[in-house]
Amino acid sequence: MTISLGKRFIAEALGTFILVFFGAGAAVVTLMIAAGTNPATPFNIGIGALGGLGDWLAIGLAFGIAIAASIYALGRVSGCHINPAVTIALFAVRRFPGRDVIPYIVAQFLGAAVASLLFAWAVGPDAIAIGGLGATTPFYGIGYLQAIVIEAIGTFLLMFVIMGVAVDERAPPGFAGLLVGLAVAGIITTIGNLTGASLNPARTFGPYLGDWLLAGQSLWEFFPIYIIGPIIGAIAAAFLYDYLCCDE
Amino acid sequence: MKCYYCALEGKESEAVAICIVCGMGLCLEHAIRKDVDVWEGGYPFPSRRLKAPLPRFLCGECYAALYGK
Repeated sequence: MTISLGKRFIAEALGTFILVFFGAGAAVVTLMIAAGTNPATPFNIGIGALGGLGDWLAIGLAFGIAIAASIYALGRVSGCHINPAVTIALFAVRRFPGRDVIPYIVAQFLGAAVASLLFAWAVGPDAIAIGGLGATTPFYGIGYLQAIVIEAIGTFLLMFVIMGVAVDERAPPGFAGLLVGLAVAGIITTIGNLTGASLNPARTFGPYLGDWLLAGQSLWEFFPIYIIGPIIGAIAAAFLYDYLCCDE
Repeated sequence: MKCYYCALEGKESEAVAICIVCGMGLCLEHAIRKDVDVWEGGYPFPSRRLKAPLPRFLCGECYAALYGK
């Protein structure tokens, strides 16, 4: 007997909510700290002003810890994909039933949207004006196609790790959440300053929707990057892992 | 193997089960059968309960220790 789809829907939405609220929220807070207050106050402590990989590592760890916590808390309920690319990739390699794909993706998008809107309400206008709710866009000098490739490679590594430490029955039990979280932190540290390192269409959808609804800022032109790249990368990783690691 | 409880009472009866915790031999009268639901799976798949529970045999003392009854 499997846990009901309704409960799994809630779990996926909750997991994605945690991911976006704390992960994308960390990006917002980093930008707000870097911007400081105007006029200056003792709270302008300068964290983030230096920029560089340190900030991205911090943001990556916030994502990673949120992901690990979600996996350990909700993994048994829904599987805790919290990422449409992961759901689609598992379906592509016949590890996940097709009838559950759409409900899972709807739940993930819903959880991300609620997280961004609640974060904006809780933190205030600066979360949008300064932090953009942690929305991902390609950074200066990164073209549209380059961004898709970078997102695909990043998500490839994420999905490859998921296949190796969680899907593969030979994997040692108990480590999946920690390792997947650390993998995400590492990926974000490296490609964060290139594309924002979304690796996840839902994670980008939430801030985009929030920025659009609350500030009228439309970033939707970049959304295909964060759909196409992660899905291609995740599917490629799932198939390659199966090819490399499963004997006929 | 003989039933430990019956032996304590000065009786002798064949054991039909063994306590899964302490290994005590138990006759039908002293064996406690506790059916346990088994869940399999987990991240990245939803866990699911096996259709049938697994039978587990316990002696009275281990049953009381585990379930407080």
